[in-house]
Amino acid sequence: MDITLRVNGATRTGSPEARKTLADFLRDDLDLTGTHLGCEHGVCGACTVIVDGRAVRSCLMLAVQAAGCEVTTIEGLAADGELGTLQQALWDSHSFQCGFCTPGFVMQAVAFLGAHPDAGEQQIREALSGNICRCTGYESIIDGVLLAAQRSASPHPAAPTQAGPGRAAPANRER
Amino acid sequence: MTGIAAERYTGASIKRSEDPRILTGAGRYVDDIKLPGMLHAAFVRSPLAHARVLSVDVSAARALPGVVAALSGAELEAMTVPGPDALMALMGWAGPTPEFTLLATDKVRFVGDPVAVVVAESRYLAEDGCELVEVEYDDLPPVVSASFALDPGSPPLFANLGDNIARPHSRREFGDVAAVFAGADRVFDFRVGVHRHQNVPMEGRGCVASYDPGQGTMTVYAATQSVHVSKIAVAMRLGIEQDKLRVLAGDVGGSFGLKIGASREELAVAAASRAAGRPVKWVEDRTENLIASGQAREESFDVRAAVSNDGDLLGLDVTMVIDTGAYPGMGAMVPAIVEAMLPGPYKLAALGFESTGVTTNKASYVAYRGPWASETFVRERVLDLIAAELGLDPVEIRLRNVAPRTDPPAVMLTGRPLAGVTTRESLERLTELVDFPAFRRRQAEARARGQYLGIGVATFIEAAPGPRSAEGPSGPMGMEAMRLRLTEDGIVVLFTGQMPHGQSHQTTLAQIAADEFGVPFEQVRVVVGDTDVVPFGLTGGSRSATMTGGVALHGARQLRAKVIDFAAHLMEASARDLQITDGNVWVRGDPASAIAVAEVARRAAAGQFGADVDAELEVEAAFDGGEGGWSGGSHCAIVEVDVETGIVRVQRYVVAEDCGALINPAVVEGQIRGGVAQGIGAVLLERSAYDEDGNCQSATFMDYLVPTACDVPRIEIAHLETVPLDADVNFRGVGEGGMLVAPPTVVNAIEDALAPFGVRIYEQHLPPSRILELIAAADPGR
Repeated sequence: MDITLRVNGATRTGSPEARKTLADFLRDDLDLTGTHLGCEHGVCGACTVIVDGRAVRSCLMLAVQAAGCEVTTIEGLAADGELGTLQQALWDSHSFQCGFCTPGFVMQAVAFLGAHPDAGEQQIREALSGNICRCTGYESIIDGVLLAAQRSASPHPAAPTQAGPGRAAPANRER
Repeated sequence: MTGIAAERYTGASIKRSEDPRILTGAGRYVDDIKLPGMLHAAFVRSPLAHARVLSVDVSAARALPGVVAALSGAELEAMTVPGPDALMALMGWAGPTPEFTLLATDKVRFVGDPVAVVVAESRYLAEDGCELVEVEYDDLPPVVSASFALDPGSPPLFANLGDNIARPHSRREFGDVAAVFAGADRVFDFRVGVHRHQNVPMEGRGCVASYDPGQGTMTVYAATQSVHVSKIAVAMRLGIEQDKLRVLAGDVGGSFGLKIGASREELAVAAASRAAGRPVKWVEDRTENLIASGQAREESFDVRAAVSNDGDLLGLDVTMVIDTGAYPGMGAMVPAIVEAMLPGPYKLAALGFESTGVTTNKASYVAYRGPWASETFVRERVLDLIAAELGLDPVEIRLRNVAPRTDPPAVMLTGRPLAGVTTRESLERLTELVDFPAFRRRQAEARARGQYLGIGVATFIEAAPGPRSAEGPSGPMGMEAMRLRLTEDGIVVLFTGQMPHGQSHQTTLAQIAADEFGVPFEQVRVVVGDTDVVPFGLTGGSRSATMTGGVALHGARQLRAKVIDFAAHLMEASARDLQITDGNVWVRGDPASAIAVAEVARRAAAGQFGADVDAELEVEAAFDGGEGGWSGGSHCAIVEVDVETGIVRVQRYVVAEDCGALINPAVVEGQIRGGVAQGIGAVLLERSAYDEDGNCQSATFMDYLVPTACDVPRIEIAHLETVPLDADVNFRGVGEGGMLVAPPTVVNAIEDALAPFGVRIYEQHLPPSRILELIAAADPGR
């Protein structure tokens, strides 16, 4: 079936089989392999992308259902080569390890922070509880999202980080 | 800039160089490989736990448009070389060796056992083809429990073994077991079990195998912990000469012990690629991962403990049975490690240890983060059970029994010296971080309100890599090698056999080499994942901090000396007067003399020199682990148990950890937190469950529950760096400790919370339903 949709700001066309998932269409037909498949049954969240402003699991959506939609994938966040505020904060916070779940977390957090810029830790934990990370124990991811929220809210962002590798932000460790 | 000492990277939480690609979707995992003409494989898997295979008919699948090949087990066997499990062979296994084929031929031995492979133009078509493969089975009684497997009347999984014994019964004694038990004030008997659970990396297993019929060469793109071990396995079973085989790996999406060597499926995919003459990709889906990739830990322990009235643990006599699942692998080898580690940091006078391993109709046993972890669970559980019987405090009983730190160090009853072990210090640190008396007051107040809080403590040591001994600290995995080169761009390139899958080696090794060589961090690159260019190595066993950190340090020092020697010739200076800082070679005291290392390398490459000048700015380094050492630490959990619902919430989790000198604190803390999260999951959520027919009941993430952001608390970490043993390499591994000690820590806390009901816990898996059962059984009147 022929479809046309917008992906990361560009118009794309394709002819996926009706049964092809949006995830497979993005990965195989559009070569956008940043979207990862961690379970293919809608639980782990690794395949999360943003469709018309909402975070969706691209393993549970058919490509043909995305016809006419505006889709943003992880590749669409730093298209100009600069990391976005969230990505930078996640880097500064040592948020991830193996990186396989990362695109899903980033897309889920982008969508969530967009709607809830003032979210606190518990809200962020709940918002991300549909994404599974097996490496980190989540604390570093939560810290990264909190740091992004804080930087976005602050008229004078916290200490600008170096463009290249440098010191991480102090770990939010002691209570 | 010259002459100003560069900041020291080692010991700082340098931001990871892996992250920009990972955060932008530019990581390259095995499923992202796309080759011209690439086909896709899917496997037909057994729906039965134990059955004879009467026939496999792939003809309808072959006829499906888009299907390129469909191979039965027998057809695949004709294309490959029979042999044992590569990992067991590599580790020198000399016990029972079951005969089996890559895909099932005569029998299927677990639900999910691969029977046939279909290769098609897309994964969708390959799965369509699988639907058309007809397999006739003749049911056999499933062997689902270890107790049935031990019954000589159970139907043997492997005809050549004649029974279901994967590891024959053995018994060893250390110290005078009979005398110690005869002289003890008290002898306790406990049966403690650990349930089956599994690795579950977010990226499952997978590979792309690409056979070039013209050259007769095979390239395998793997998701692996070691490209070289994968290569050995593929070469062995496909009968390919080493020089015609290359294994590559990019980013690897976690493993935790699962992805060592090449699995039966990966070997089948490589054979299918050779048969088709085209590249073939296979990436397992989550159900394949959960039912067929491998599982770990189903072990039972009958423990006798000889104790003094004061709480001295005098002796243990332990009988272990391990359920190794269907096919050979790690399981049969685990009891030997459990035996060696069981005394832990404690001054035990006697240990009797006997073990048996059995085969059952369940997924095969694989290494999972701290494969010997059950010894920590059993010992730390038993200590609390004894403390409860004797009315002792859990911290007190541990402090009482910890071997003192002496010079020369105390020696574990099973042989290894406890050099630099700081269990006492970590326990004492915990009591500073957690106000135990205040908790007890809070606990009493809460109980009066019908709220049940508990506190648990447990401690561990981890041979990461282990102390220097007769065979060296590096132990059975041998020396660690590294090649280092200074390029004409001024980049110090490290070629390592480590295959990171989350461990951040591209950052941490660069930190060490940058400091030692004298270049900025950005001027060091770490090359991994190509058997043509990296030395042998394996990421696992928490060995890379010491072994690879050490070889990076020594190798950078060797390369630096070599560059200085060459620069001395160029600069007409004495090598003794030259130094390298911030990427420049210069004569000490003369900043104007500085030459960039890139320029030195360009001159070396361009010039023609006499035989007395070594202009090859490359070294091959090797490291034996130096003095080695142990990692270790103590953990404390505070939990709240809702006795109406059985739900356990971890309120606070505190870690006092000693992994020697930290290379990158944020990386170390990530390893600790991740391990603790898996340990919490093992206790509260995760179980690889089978019904009595051998059907896997945990085949999706709806049934196999892993912790989410709402299940794992913040984890407070204090670092101890107490005892440097080596002249310069005191980094120790930290990958497995969290997973070793979190399960007993959490279970101990749950038992403490349920103390008012008289609950005693002898198991590790405590989902809400089980908590309610335990309360009801202990307190029937409730």
